[in-house]
Amino acid sequence: MDLAVGPGEIHALVGENGAGKSTLIKILAGVHQADAGEVRLLGERVDPYGASLPLSFVHQDLGLVDELSVGENVALVAGFPRQAGLIDWPRVWARAREIYLAMAVAPPDPRLPVGALSAASKAVLGIVRALARQARVVVLDEPTAALPEPDAAHLFDVLRRLRASGCSVIYVSHRLGELFGLADRVTVLRDGRRVRAAAMAEITPQQLVEDMLGRSLELHHAAHPVENHARPLLAVAALENAQAGPVSFQIGAGEIVGLVGLRGAGHEAIGRMIFGALRPRGGEIRLDGTLLPAGEDVAARIARGVALLPGDRGRESALGGMSLIENLLPSAAIGGQRSWRPLLPARERRRAQAVLDRLDVRPRDPAALIDWLSGGNQQKVFVGRWLEAKARLYVMEEPTAGIDIGAKFAIHGLLADVARGGAGILVVSSDFEEVAALCDRALVIGRARITSELRGPGLTVDNLVAHASIGAGAEAGAGASGGG
Amino acid sequence: MDEQVSTNERLADTAAARPHASGRLADLTAVYGLAVVFVLVMVVFGILRPNSFFSTMNMNAVLVGQSVTAMLALAEMVPLATRQFDLSVGFHLGMAHVLMIGLQVQQNLSWPAAAAIVLAVALLVGALNGILITRFGIDSFIATMGLGTLLYGVSNWYSGGAQITGLNLPASFANLTEVIGYIPLPAVYVAIVAVILWVVTERLPVGRALYVIGASPRAAELLGIRTKLYIGGAFVTSGLLSGIAGIMLASILGTGTPSVGPEYLLPAFASTLLGATSIHPGRVNVIGTLLAVLILAFSFSGVQQLGAAFYVQYFFNGGILIVAVGLSVYAAARRRALAAAGAGKAGAAD
Repeated sequence: MDLAVGPGEIHALVGENGAGKSTLIKILAGVHQADAGEVRLLGERVDPYGASLPLSFVHQDLGLVDELSVGENVALVAGFPRQAGLIDWPRVWARAREIYLAMAVAPPDPRLPVGALSAASKAVLGIVRALARQARVVVLDEPTAALPEPDAAHLFDVLRRLRASGCSVIYVSHRLGELFGLADRVTVLRDGRRVRAAAMAEITPQQLVEDMLGRSLELHHAAHPVENHARPLLAVAALENAQAGPVSFQIGAGEIVGLVGLRGAGHEAIGRMIFGALRPRGGEIRLDGTLLPAGEDVAARIARGVALLPGDRGRESALGGMSLIENLLPSAAIGGQRSWRPLLPARERRRAQAVLDRLDVRPRDPAALIDWLSGGNQQKVFVGRWLEAKARLYVMEEPTAGIDIGAKFAIHGLLADVARGGAGILVVSSDFEEVAALCDRALVIGRARITSELRGPGLTVDNLVAHASIGAGAEAGAGASGGG
Repeated sequence: MDEQVSTNERLADTAAARPHASGRLADLTAVYGLAVVFVLVMVVFGILRPNSFFSTMNMNAVLVGQSVTAMLALAEMVPLATRQFDLSVGFHLGMAHVLMIGLQVQQNLSWPAAAAIVLAVALLVGALNGILITRFGIDSFIATMGLGTLLYGVSNWYSGGAQITGLNLPASFANLTEVIGYIPLPAVYVAIVAVILWVVTERLPVGRALYVIGASPRAAELLGIRTKLYIGGAFVTSGLLSGIAGIMLASILGTGTPSVGPEYLLPAFASTLLGATSIHPGRVNVIGTLLAVLILAFSFSGVQQLGAAFYVQYFFNGGILIVAVGLSVYAAARRRALAAAGAGKAGAAD
């Protein structure tokens, strides 16, 4: 694998998951040792595994301490200036300002707690802090994943100034669109090899996607109008909050619709607003034609027949230390119970046993603790929990993330059954293969809006990758078929 | 086809059953551990002091004396089910019993009127705790400690810091906690409350919601459980039961002493946590709590009869608290290890 980055250039590094981007970065960072080959810095041969290079890394998770001030966060990396063994606070503040000014970026008050900064300012601080160690090259790993569009633009501005000051930037991103107009050169990796190195000016977004996937691509520009069901199960109009929207779409009874986007695109927020877990800033949600009051909480939405399977299994689904019975029937709303009506152990056990048998959960012992189960079996239990709620609309976040292939197919089969039974399913996912395999239709979210809609033969993994990657760009016009 | 499926299932079942079988003995000792300890305590001291230990007088003295602790332990249990601490129960108990005596002596109220006021105040105290924690987001440890200390101030202010002697209290008030035949009434009150709490925590969706919140507040919210309402309710219940405990204590003592109360917190707390090591290991529960109170009470009474000094009770309560929490931490770690082994084996069977 080769990668050449010139001085004072922004170099994009792209490729699908597993193409080798992370491995390359880890070798540069000295985490892994290279099996063969060499790394040269300014022409000199260096060994990143032994010596530390003047390279800095900014990861998606910036590693900032929100409770501490900007100056302290800089000093945590750069070291605290001392005088007579004690921290020299005036110099801590001054130093933070200097580092910002060296990059021609207006510094914030260094005494401000980091928690008070905007997402973009935090990302900038992450970069500034990385440069505090006299780095020549900064490696940015998906820095804009969680940034809304104006913030991303601000960050790009900072990167351009950084380039002007002579630093080089290696920019790893899945959002191909935003690379155009930002990066100077691009290296595409596939299956651990470099398949293209080119100047950005000489390449089109479609060529980039084809290089990433390794096959030619016929982009289906989905120009379908929003489908008008005679009586849609769910109708969302101009729904928005700070992270997503405004979006409008409909789901018919028996339909499985994917809501796809790259990490941080805002698609999770849309599902959560429908479930009542996030409060929308505006817009309407209608279920079966009935307008749902905006202030309703989760309990009220469950009562109306909306269910949500959270994506974070460990933190938001699992009830650790509790039995499978309790995990399947955790609340009155789900068990179809009243709060003060006695739970009959024998009946609950039979009910839980029936679900475990139907979903083929191992072990099939209702008294087993949830902690004893593997991830895939746990997920089956959580899917089973919501099936017990007999909802009309299921919002499923990453329904099969991190589970083995057998359980994945089993859960897909279950969801298809549920849809055949007349419920609507909204699959909120960044797993393109899953969406292509499971959904009837997919809405692609880029930068908080619906950028395209794919269906029928056009709903393929390649198309999803293309639309999500290109359509997500700040400066991209290509590939997107207009906001929803 | 059918043949094959059943073979596969058998394989999977045996693989999944293995960790379970090895965990079963550990489970049994965990579930019935406290009951066994209780029987051991009774047998050992029964043999060492056969005449005095099992005497009606000793039994009644322990049961009457410990009923207040038991009531307070049950009060503590409810918020603890949601993993929230209530450190105000001891101070609250003190204030309730001072008010109970004082309202009769200083304000010349009848005891039912005084009791009604004490219970209303108890509900208010619980609601205040709940509001501080759920509305203002103050950590339960801090909120209840702060409010508890305020209550301690109130009882000292009300009594002027001096003991209120209930010289002319009606007999009907003292009779609230008398022993009828072989049955001490305070123990009956505890039993009634325990039965109600048992039904709520073990057999009603309301109780399950409390444990679900304790397991994961975030998951509970996404399951449609109104966590703030439940946590608030848990503190109101805890306040009410602390008030009842205060009325019982007033009837037993016949005087109101403003310095009484705080020393009840630790035994109640220790019992609840010790109770969580058994019956439903890893979660606070009614039967475990009661067993723990009885074990602490009878073993201390036994040690006393063997001639231990009064200060031994502090070693006892402090030691038990550490041992109980240590045991439950150890049991949880063991169960996690077993679970990991179980998940590994069940995973291998997939």
